[in-house]
Amino acid sequence: MNNDRFAKQRIADDLDEPVEEAGNLARKLGLKPYPVNYWIVDYDEMNELIAYGGFQQRYPHWRWGMQYDRQQKQGQFLGGKAFEIVNNDDPAHAFLQESNTLADQKAVITHVEAHADFFANNEWFRMFTDGSSRTTTDASGEDRRRGPDAAGMLARHGDTIQEYMQDPDIKRAEVERFIDHVLCLEDNIDQHVPYSPVETVPEEFEDIEGADVTDQLDDLDLSEEVKRQVFDDEWLDAQRDDDENVTFPAEPEKDVLGFLRKHGMQYDEDAERATEMEDWQKELLELLRREAYYFAPQKMTKVMNEGWASYWESLMMTGEQFAGDDEFILYSDHMSKVLGSGGLNPYSLGLEIWEYVENTENRREVIERLLRVEGITWRNFDESVDYETVQEHLLPPEWLTDVPSHLDDLDPEDPRVDSDGLAAARDGEFDVEQYPWKVLTYEGLAHRHYSLVKPQYRGFVSRIGQEELERTARYMFDDSRYDSVEEALADVDYTRGWERMREIRESHNDVTFLDEFLTQEFVDDNDYFTYEYTHASGDYRVTSTDHEDVKKKLMLQFTNFGKPTVVVEDGNYQNRNELLLAHQYNGVMLDIGQAKEVLKRTFELWGRPVNLLTIVKEFDDHDVEVAKRRDREPEPEEVGKRIRYDGDEVTVTDVDWSEVEHLTATDIDYNTKPDEWLA
Amino acid sequence: MGLKDDLERYRDVGEERRQDLAEFIQYGDLGQSRGDSVRIPIKIVDLPEFEYDQRDQGGVGQGEGAEEGDPVGQPQPQPGDDDGDEDGEPGEEGGEHEYYEMDPEEFAEELDEQLGLDLEPKGKKVIEEKEGDFTDITRTGPSSTLDFERLFKKGLKRKLAMDFDEDYVREALKVEGWGPATVYEWARERNIPVSKAWIDDAYDDLPSDEKAVWDSIEEMEDNVEKVETSQRIRREGVDQIPFRREDERYRYPEIVEEREKNVVVVNIRDVSGSMRQKKRELVERTFTPLDWYLTGKYDNAEFVYIAHDADAWEVERDEFFGIRSGGGTRISSAYELAAEILEEEYPWSEWNRYVFAAGDSENSSNDTEEKVIPLMKQIPANLHAYVETQPSGNAINATHAEEVERNFRDADNVAVAYVSSPEDVVDAIYDILSTEDQ
Repeated sequence: MNNDRFAKQRIADDLDEPVEEAGNLARKLGLKPYPVNYWIVDYDEMNELIAYGGFQQRYPHWRWGMQYDRQQKQGQFLGGKAFEIVNNDDPAHAFLQESNTLADQKAVITHVEAHADFFANNEWFRMFTDGSSRTTTDASGEDRRRGPDAAGMLARHGDTIQEYMQDPDIKRAEVERFIDHVLCLEDNIDQHVPYSPVETVPEEFEDIEGADVTDQLDDLDLSEEVKRQVFDDEWLDAQRDDDENVTFPAEPEKDVLGFLRKHGMQYDEDAERATEMEDWQKELLELLRREAYYFAPQKMTKVMNEGWASYWESLMMTGEQFAGDDEFILYSDHMSKVLGSGGLNPYSLGLEIWEYVENTENRREVIERLLRVEGITWRNFDESVDYETVQEHLLPPEWLTDVPSHLDDLDPEDPRVDSDGLAAARDGEFDVEQYPWKVLTYEGLAHRHYSLVKPQYRGFVSRIGQEELERTARYMFDDSRYDSVEEALADVDYTRGWERMREIRESHNDVTFLDEFLTQEFVDDNDYFTYEYTHASGDYRVTSTDHEDVKKKLMLQFTNFGKPTVVVEDGNYQNRNELLLAHQYNGVMLDIGQAKEVLKRTFELWGRPVNLLTIVKEFDDHDVEVAKRRDREPEPEEVGKRIRYDGDEVTVTDVDWSEVEHLTATDIDYNTKPDEWLA
Repeated sequence: MGLKDDLERYRDVGEERRQDLAEFIQYGDLGQSRGDSVRIPIKIVDLPEFEYDQRDQGGVGQGEGAEEGDPVGQPQPQPGDDDGDEDGEPGEEGGEHEYYEMDPEEFAEELDEQLGLDLEPKGKKVIEEKEGDFTDITRTGPSSTLDFERLFKKGLKRKLAMDFDEDYVREALKVEGWGPATVYEWARERNIPVSKAWIDDAYDDLPSDEKAVWDSIEEMEDNVEKVETSQRIRREGVDQIPFRREDERYRYPEIVEEREKNVVVVNIRDVSGSMRQKKRELVERTFTPLDWYLTGKYDNAEFVYIAHDADAWEVERDEFFGIRSGGGTRISSAYELAAEILEEEYPWSEWNRYVFAAGDSENSSNDTEEKVIPLMKQIPANLHAYVETQPSGNAINATHAEEVERNFRDADNVAVAYVSSPEDVVDAIYDILSTEDQ
């Protein structure tokens, strides 16, 4: 035990410097990460952390055990791969695996710093607050908004649930079952709105039936301002609406968990009717709902976030030689494994899109400068611009690429030079061979790592299409600012690519990110294709390599966690207090088997019969036969269905098309089968 | 709370949802399991969710030169997948793609429980002689192994046997008119272990004025209380224990024979032309669980696979259930080969032996009566079994099973089972495994 601790301590000591310098470098590169606490853990502990979603203390549940089991079995095949875990927490907590090489540890640390930046600055992560809006002062003395205290929150949830399980008045099995029910719906939240808790104490006004709210307000003796601001007419109308309107919610509610928390009941077996939920049930439901909201942003930004971390990791490790010479080979090996694993890998997908973003923005900057040269227009651009010369001009000066040899020549006044760093380097306070970046500013680093001059992107500027040139030129007025190409290029802002990347990491999620930046070029370069199940052959077949098709298939996997959208349509269905859920059909049908199971669980949270409206595709047996014989695909018929579970049995009934028509999205078609395949 | 707890709960939950063992043996996918780990499918262990129908969803893949219409095999892992490790059949209801893994020991245990079996494997081959507890004793040995407790007890016993109340005997010498001879006589009668020589010495030492203290022996006995040895020792302690060399014992360790419970299972299968797909499957379904069961029961299990038509040859497990040949059938060929292999590699003194044969009961004429049955009698084994797999009732010439059954009606180590559909498999396994019990 002690040996183990000493071993970890030794590793931790070795990592002190890389950790500190990675943080410094990240900040210099324009990142604003949460402070990160690093922990050294062994292989088993790492597996455990992965199983528990990256946190040490969670509520008791068999699912963690299942994930651990899987993780271990996977580990047997993959060997002790260099795992990385970092939590969206402020400060963030990151875990380093004891058995990793120093090169791996450094890679993980740089990767983690970038994730911590993403957590702190992506607005989808800001949608979650744990209630306390805190500010804090960070290392540089700046006040910043404090992020979540996630580890604390999850541990508290764990304690609460643990207490209920130990409560002699509550059966442990019942608590476990209840958690299962809620978890079936954990993705059925409205992840696009900020989290706000459904209060456990019922709202006073809701309780008093029939009382006129206006009278009550008068009783409260509020000032006119308060009344006008808080209890405005709209609010008052809404209160009245509630009383009169027998169907609620007024608008379809995507936050199914929240709705169940507000209006759900439990089914009392003995009394054979719905009764109020127990307090523990209400609290638990809210707790799990809060966790769902907390984890939602991570699910929504997987590609972006992993790509972002890989981008900065690569820049720091390779570009800034964060890996020592001897570690570099190991690092490259590690990197190629991470990026090279099969299928659609979020790391490589994200990294490539980020690089694409960087390049296009940098190219736009160059093009805009050049279009402002007297005499150059989008029409004559190709003839009047010599790309070789442009490339030459964009190259960083030698002192930027090789800082240590030019230490004596550097000008402390140059905006690209960090004058304090330079002075320190000249005084020998640090090894400039190891940390050349300390002598440079953000601007200096941006030029030093300028993407368009990297060997692999040399031709990127010249590949610009007419169309893009025209588009860029269209809104430019100040188009003869420069007399020569040289003059124009001297003004190029080398930080623009990074600025744009930071803007995007602030406001986008995977859906918008892919939608905006996944280009034909990208799809073609990476040999992506779509596939569908074909009835003729009874297996999956490639259906398209067209980038539009690939994109829409991909979007399907990222929109709404890759899950179908199911909303609460009516909490008083057919005036019988039944719950009506509706599947907003986008052309891809539900897994009906699972949907039935989910309904059974939902019943336990509603206490009364539950219904689901959906649309399924049905194939006529005869059509299928005929299609098979002709090697064609049968045409399905879309049929409206209502699935109902009354606590006893599941029934499925056909419904008239008019009942489900409003659920169909007319403008999307995820089917990529070529038309000529159809029968 | 904590990992251990959650793992345990997962196992419980998994167990609840695991396919019933009997159902698994009859209809389950046995191919997912290996010899050392039995994989029982778990029905939807993870929680259900609103998800897209996998078939209807399609997906995105990556690969050079993909063209419309190319098959893609199984769907590739997609970035939206939570785990990326779901390898289930696409489009199957509810993601039945989890497996509960049990090792053969657990399998055997559960089968025992479900079928009420209780097969006690016998230890056979002596694999080790090792020192057990120091419970055996010898007369010589190193002093550290001297059993002192024993020596002391012996000495004490000896002391008790030799000791007597000296004062009491001395009083007897003080009886008027009594000399050493009379006293010795008297002491003998009263079982006082005193020697004549001691009495003589004591008489000589007796002052002459004390030689007539008592008028008679009765008077002495009435006035002097005899003190029992045990009482005196209790009162005065033992001043000396007479240790004797002959009482010394030295401990030495017992030699324990460790016998390994090892088993060889010979699986014989008819691979002739009449053994079509269905029959083959039934053999596999019966033999495989038997193999697992015995693997789980014994410390060390080895398997011999023999395929035969008119001739027999040994094969690897991988090919065993798949082979099909065209030839006729001569079951005895397999038993001849089995006898040879068992004789050479698995001597009866060291191995438990199970010989399982399966086929459709067709055999060349007289082979059963004249050759197979004598061979079965000659091959010593814990159990011989014949499994007839005949999905469509009986063929006219298929009488091997019946003949065997008739011949061994009274034998307690021969089982015959009939399997005509998967439903019969569990019963067949029970019949076979319970035969050895008796």
